[in-house]
Amino acid sequence: MSSEATSNKRQKFFGAFFRKITEFFFEKQKTFASWHWIRHAGLPMLLALFCFLGPYVWRLSPTADDAAAIAAPAWAHPAGTDDLGRDELARLMRGGAETLSVAVPAAVVAVLLGAGYGMLAGFAPAVVGRMLMCLLDALLALPSLVVLLCGAAMLPPGPVTDCGLIAITAWFSLARLVRSEIVALRDRDFAHAARQLGAGPWHMAYVHYVPNISRLIAVNAALILGDAILSLSSLGFLGLGPAESWGSMLRSGLAVIGRNAWWLILPPGLLIAGSLYAASAAGEAIAEGRAA
Amino acid sequence: MLGHLARRCLEAAATLAVLVTLTFCLAHLAGGSAARSILGPHASPEALKSLNALLHQGGPPGAQYSFWWNKLLHGDLGQSAITNEDVAVRIGNAAGPTLALYTLGLGSAALLATALGLLHGVFYRRPIGRVCSALEIALYVTPGFFIAAVLSLVFSIWLPVLPAGGAGDPGQNAADMRHLVLPAVSVMLLASPGLARVFAQSVDAELSRDYVRTARARGLGWLAILFRHVMPNAARPLVTLLGLSLPVIFSGDVVVESAFDYPGLGRLLSQSALGHDYPVLLGIVLLIGVATIIGNLAADIALALLDPRARYV
Repeated sequence: MSSEATSNKRQKFFGAFFRKITEFFFEKQKTFASWHWIRHAGLPMLLALFCFLGPYVWRLSPTADDAAAIAAPAWAHPAGTDDLGRDELARLMRGGAETLSVAVPAAVVAVLLGAGYGMLAGFAPAVVGRMLMCLLDALLALPSLVVLLCGAAMLPPGPVTDCGLIAITAWFSLARLVRSEIVALRDRDFAHAARQLGAGPWHMAYVHYVPNISRLIAVNAALILGDAILSLSSLGFLGLGPAESWGSMLRSGLAVIGRNAWWLILPPGLLIAGSLYAASAAGEAIAEGRAA
Repeated sequence: MLGHLARRCLEAAATLAVLVTLTFCLAHLAGGSAARSILGPHASPEALKSLNALLHQGGPPGAQYSFWWNKLLHGDLGQSAITNEDVAVRIGNAAGPTLALYTLGLGSAALLATALGLLHGVFYRRPIGRVCSALEIALYVTPGFFIAAVLSLVFSIWLPVLPAGGAGDPGQNAADMRHLVLPAVSVMLLASPGLARVFAQSVDAELSRDYVRTARARGLGWLAILFRHVMPNAARPLVTLLGLSLPVIFSGDVVVESAFDYPGLGRLLSQSALGHDYPVLLGIVLLIGVATIIGNLAADIALALLDPRARYV
């Protein structure tokens, strides 16, 4: 009898406790503006932590080849070892750092190029703008990977070449979008009014056009970062570009596919897909105005 | 209609001219090394000079430029720097397998995209639609080479039913057709999610239009409305998108062909990039550029035929 009463009491106590917790997480979170931010920035942050802080936590060297070759995941090597007996987890971290440290600067350069070219084509007289767009059409007619492969074959290899090539192939679509947005803004009433009041092109750009296209640029910056990661990984997969990126790790994993070494194929591929998803989700979140 | 057609053809011709000029610049960026890569690092300056004259390199840029056009208009793309074969022949040999892969891959991609997009569009923002959407996003963010790697891991290592790579001879017999299956499935999975997503959005938009309500009020069944009225209207953006996404699909095709060691244009491209075989590289660049321009033109014309409003944009 008494034990029943205590269990009843305990139930009530824990019931109230759990209700409080669930209330906190499911009711109060609506007032936490930052909660949404964490939800959308969480995956990019996790990936960045894995690549750049991971090596300080998991201290095995990515180049030490003293373990058994092609060993399945075990406690000593949680992601297995590759065909030269190097720790795969450490290599994944370094591969990510190599990929991101080329892709992020490339994306920044591409955004600047695309926004600059698009605004130039939007500002220029109609004939010049048309010509600039025609040139862009010719550039867009080439698959980016074709241009990348040509450039990687003709230029001396190195991180600067990779970065520049990826930047050069990633900006076309943004230029097109920016130009059409500027052309649309140019004919709006406020633009006419500002020009009537004597505003010059620089003033128009800084005060009227850039604030109006900033969200477009932010969304596309995220998408361009995704494109840059994809291009770099494809380049690595084809045997060009940075020597130790996720793409080239997948290439060397596929070379020993006959050994059934799934731990050399699935993790790098999933990390590439995960970072592409993170980039496109960030772009979508910015487009819907939930972050940034 | 004719005026629109003429203007589009003129634009395509201008784009083509820019492309040819671009490849000319690229050829001469790599130019000095063409003779060197044929003769090797120990060639004498005289030999280099005479080969350069033979290849019509050196001399005034204007003459070289007109020579470049003249050569291209006669279908002469030069010789491979490595095998010394005619570039046009090498490209022609590689184009067949790629065409087979494209036909099979894009055909099945169109079917998959229509089915998935229709399901997603009809159940837009409902549980079934969300599942379709998640599937599309998962396929969309997966790079082509990873799709290829997973497919060959599953279907030729875990369940050894299909060859993981190699040539075969597509179209010759049934055993060789098996080499085509995994690359074609990769191209299909690569090309369909974007198309499915756009198709779903336009199906959803069309379903809330007035003519659907009118047709419903007239007593038409849902299936009749969907297939007779909604689908033709919703397919319009798909035509443009397919034309525009050809370069993106080719980028994916390059890595898929390399992953399966499939003897097509994509593998030829990456091999000649790795081997610094510039004539072949530029030949492929020209071919792909021309194909893309023609593809875009064809998509535009198809759109103008499907939708009279598009003729006046």
